[in-house]
Amino acid sequence: MWRNTATRFGLTSRLLHWSMAALILTLLVLGTVLTSIQPGLSTLWLYGQHKTLGIITLSLALVRLIWHRISPAPASLGSPVAWQNRVARATHLALYALMLAIPLSGWIASSATGLDVVIFGQIILPPIAPVSEAWENTGFAIHGILTKVLMALLALHIAGAVLRGLKGDGTLRRITKGL
Amino acid sequence: MRIPLLVLVLNASVALASLALANCALASPANYTLQPASSVVGFETDFGSDKITGQMPISRADLTLDFQNVSASRVAVTLDVAHADASFPFAAQAMKGPKVLDSRDFPQISFESTSVKSKGEGAEVSGRVTIRGVTKPMVMQAMIWRQKGHEAGDLSHLTIRLTGALNRSDFGAVGWSDMVGDQVRLDILARIARSE
Repeated sequence: MWRNTATRFGLTSRLLHWSMAALILTLLVLGTVLTSIQPGLSTLWLYGQHKTLGIITLSLALVRLIWHRISPAPASLGSPVAWQNRVARATHLALYALMLAIPLSGWIASSATGLDVVIFGQIILPPIAPVSEAWENTGFAIHGILTKVLMALLALHIAGAVLRGLKGDGTLRRITKGL
Repeated sequence: MRIPLLVLVLNASVALASLALANCALASPANYTLQPASSVVGFETDFGSDKITGQMPISRADLTLDFQNVSASRVAVTLDVAHADASFPFAAQAMKGPKVLDSRDFPQISFESTSVKSKGEGAEVSGRVTIRGVTKPMVMQAMIWRQKGHEAGDLSHLTIRLTGALNRSDFGAVGWSDMVGDQVRLDILARIARSE
């Protein structure tokens, strides 16, 4: 039930997938809001929430990678069209890379500001970059660019999943119901 | 966000002070020392539609007040940047960090008066303030009162309020300028006691 099999996603992988999907969508909305509002006392908590959710996402991405070493994901069902398989494979790899790189770039940039990186309203994370305007600007620039790449890849990922779902080849059902 | 300032001054024309002159236990000029526990260097700046407020301790203050010849009064004050505080933790950290006050490299802010003039019911104190190693002229408005519990004519304990403003960008303290206002408004309440 919890572990993956050669043909099915176990409950652990499915929970990780969907909880991360919810987190990432929330983070994308929250991050977009934060870039468009004027900071003030009433909105400061949103920055803290963004950092908290980002660190949870980074942690879950690591858990997911470890879990897939312990309980490998089933092989892709594959598509009759070869290039679609290559795109799907590349998209999955890129999504994993971004799930690590985006939170890390945010953590690096936040560390470089010289301000504490606080999650859950009280836990101060150690800085992982020197206090430097260059690191801060570069870090936030990379954070923003990678986020836009993530949005594009998620659109591709969702489109591919919906397409497979409409075709009824079982790909979508495996990650929703584990069948 | 940002910082504060200094202190003091005098004004012979202030009503209470002039009361004192009558009694004149006071040979002018007189040296005063700060009562740090009851003195406050306060500041305020804009943060979106809100305000950031805070305080900074005074580490040293040398005051010479001359009620008969106001222009002979002198003020020199040093503030302790490293122990400054603001209305919420991020603001204090940002204020003391390298993008604003840079307290590690510049742990003090200093002010030294260059002239004191009577103005209205108070005084105008001109001086030079040094922040982040940058020295600029600054003018503050001063009012002075006898402290509560002291009789008219007793100038041994005084309260001085100084108000003024500066632009932090003049001193290279430009961090978070997209979020936090450039102008820093100062409101300093200094309680002083005449040195024996």
